[in-house]
Amino acid sequence: MIRLQNVCKSFKGNYAVQNLDLEVQKGEILGLLGANGAGKSTTINMILGFLKADSGTVEVDSIDVARNTQEVRKLIGYIPENVNLYPYLTGMENLDYFCRLAGLKYAKNELESYLTNCGLQLDAHDRKVGGYSKGMRQKVGIAIAYAKKAKVYLLDEPASGLDPLASNELSNLLKKLAEREATILMASHDIFRVREVCNRIGILKRGKLVKQLHSSEVSARELEQLYLEYMQN
Amino acid sequence: MMFQIIKNEWRFLIRSKVILGASLGFIALLIVSILLGNFQAKKQEANYKEAKDFVRQQWNDIKEMNPHGAAHYGTYVFKPSNLLNSLDEGVNGVTGNIIRVEGHVQNEMVHSEASQMQVVSKFGKLKSSLLLKYIVPLLLIFLAFHAVSVEKQSGRLKILLMQGSKPSSIIFGKALSITLYGIGLLTVVVITQSLLNFQNLDSEIIKRSALFFISYSIFYFVICGLTIFFASRWQNSTLALTSMLSIWILWTIFLPNILLSSVEDWHPLPSREQFKSAMKEDRSKGMDGHNSRDERSKAFEQEILQKYNVDTIADLPINFDGLRMQADEDFGNKVWDKHFKEIRKVLTTQKRSLQLCGIVNPYLSLQNVSMGFTLSDNLHHHDFLAQVETYRRRFIKILNDEQTFGGSKTGQWDWKASSDFYKSVPDFEYQPTALSSVFRNYLLDLGLLVFWLFFTVFLLSRASKKMPIL
Repeated sequence: MIRLQNVCKSFKGNYAVQNLDLEVQKGEILGLLGANGAGKSTTINMILGFLKADSGTVEVDSIDVARNTQEVRKLIGYIPENVNLYPYLTGMENLDYFCRLAGLKYAKNELESYLTNCGLQLDAHDRKVGGYSKGMRQKVGIAIAYAKKAKVYLLDEPASGLDPLASNELSNLLKKLAEREATILMASHDIFRVREVCNRIGILKRGKLVKQLHSSEVSARELEQLYLEYMQN
Repeated sequence: MMFQIIKNEWRFLIRSKVILGASLGFIALLIVSILLGNFQAKKQEANYKEAKDFVRQQWNDIKEMNPHGAAHYGTYVFKPSNLLNSLDEGVNGVTGNIIRVEGHVQNEMVHSEASQMQVVSKFGKLKSSLLLKYIVPLLLIFLAFHAVSVEKQSGRLKILLMQGSKPSSIIFGKALSITLYGIGLLTVVVITQSLLNFQNLDSEIIKRSALFFISYSIFYFVICGLTIFFASRWQNSTLALTSMLSIWILWTIFLPNILLSSVEDWHPLPSREQFKSAMKEDRSKGMDGHNSRDERSKAFEQEILQKYNVDTIADLPINFDGLRMQADEDFGNKVWDKHFKEIRKVLTTQKRSLQLCGIVNPYLSLQNVSMGFTLSDNLHHHDFLAQVETYRRRFIKILNDEQTFGGSKTGQWDWKASSDFYKSVPDFEYQPTALSSVFRNYLLDLGLLVFWLFFTVFLLSRASKKMPIL
């Protein structure tokens, strides 16, 4: 579903991503681990079409991102680290607005069901987002992608700053989405959360994918050890 | 899609307590300025009517008087106000509103409000246009400078684009929504003004109000568009705000003064003294209506004697003094026309040059059309003066003709025309300048505003193509 082949991207002569080959299948959650500047966000931005690869191909659902950016964007739901919605709108209104931008008009009960399915408690639906916690905003962000009927979810540091309960709810939500055949790519620093949620894990270092493994192959502690070894070498 | 963006921006404007409070306060201020403007206009209109009636009554009360004595006695003409003047004061505050009409001389207008009221001379009158021209654009700049960068800084821009929004829809949507805010304030002004003067509305006023509305709307789009352009270009809202405020100060304070001074230097008008002495010089070459021993007067006398086939002016069936007075007047008028033609030529060139300056400063174009469509510009003022001069000539001719043909003989300076004659002398009636003429005069300003509109659209299109997302 997501395929990157021999992708390179540099900024002012410095490689941010180098000869990256990556594939994420339908129903799979791939976690990208890496230090700051490892190339995680650059990779996500290339898949989103906000950055153009210097070489190589980036495809989503077999569509070349560079050639059909708008087409690809229709398939992707993007959840940034901080889902900053419009604080003067309620959760429902935010969802409605972003859906309408995507050309989708939902009835009130449909919007409610999207928010509820994404774990946002009912009494928060009609409250202004300005009073939401980060976790609640993340849920609305996922509801926006979900209501868009995205096939692919790209999450950039989604668990950063979330309390354990909210983080756990997010993990469950992502697993549910994967069960519904969604393709999920998640960039994170949180080794334990990635180990818990993702089917596969990739470790990026200075723009190179230095290790790929199935999460079932390692425990969280082993993964942490492995990660530290790669980072220190 | 753009509609959704505009709708969302408006939800922000309405739900933000600070903006809503400031907007309501500003609307209250606008309404107060309209009410004040209307109160002043109505008071001025009542004063005008009272003064006009009083002066006419004085004229009608003349029992018997020598017509030439009446020409020296003269009358007064008052500049009428129009209900649209309450929107934009224009040049009215400084031009004066009373002019004395008499024989031999073309007087200047006196009693400007600025000369009588310190507050007017220092700050001008509180008219809606003052708020619409200076304060509303500032409000728009403050609303627009952050509109695009906030989307980028919050990370919403990426989500917006992922939802299918195009950068052009975002940029134009933001610019239009804030323009609509300005247009909303403008609508409050035009509607309130119309409601307050509902009974006096006619098609001319509606057309002028519509042109006033369109001109300001275009200008507001230019202001919002340029602010959004800088905001998306600099990627730094503070820098965008600083840039736009600098442009605003340049447009409203420095450039008008610099350009006006330059235009006056390029096309100088003679000084008042130069003008007066040139007029005096030329006038001295003509006949002196009060001096029968003047050489030119003698020649004119011979001409008339031949025409009537008599030997002396005592044999003339008419009063030669009246003819001589009118000949003196006609010569004076020619001198006046010659010198004023030159002055008007320079003024027209100055005006045209200043209009062309709208290419670098659309505020100048707005100022011109705003005054033009509210009848408070120089065009209407000069048109009024021209009508007064036409009336003066007709008025004096009627009096001289009565002196000549009314039944008196040459030298009978104590002869008096009847009260009925004075009552029959027509009063001055001002005919407002036709809108078609105003439109022709300000076509260049309107054209330049439209040019700025397209230029802004071009800049916004470029900004949307190069919009920084990351």
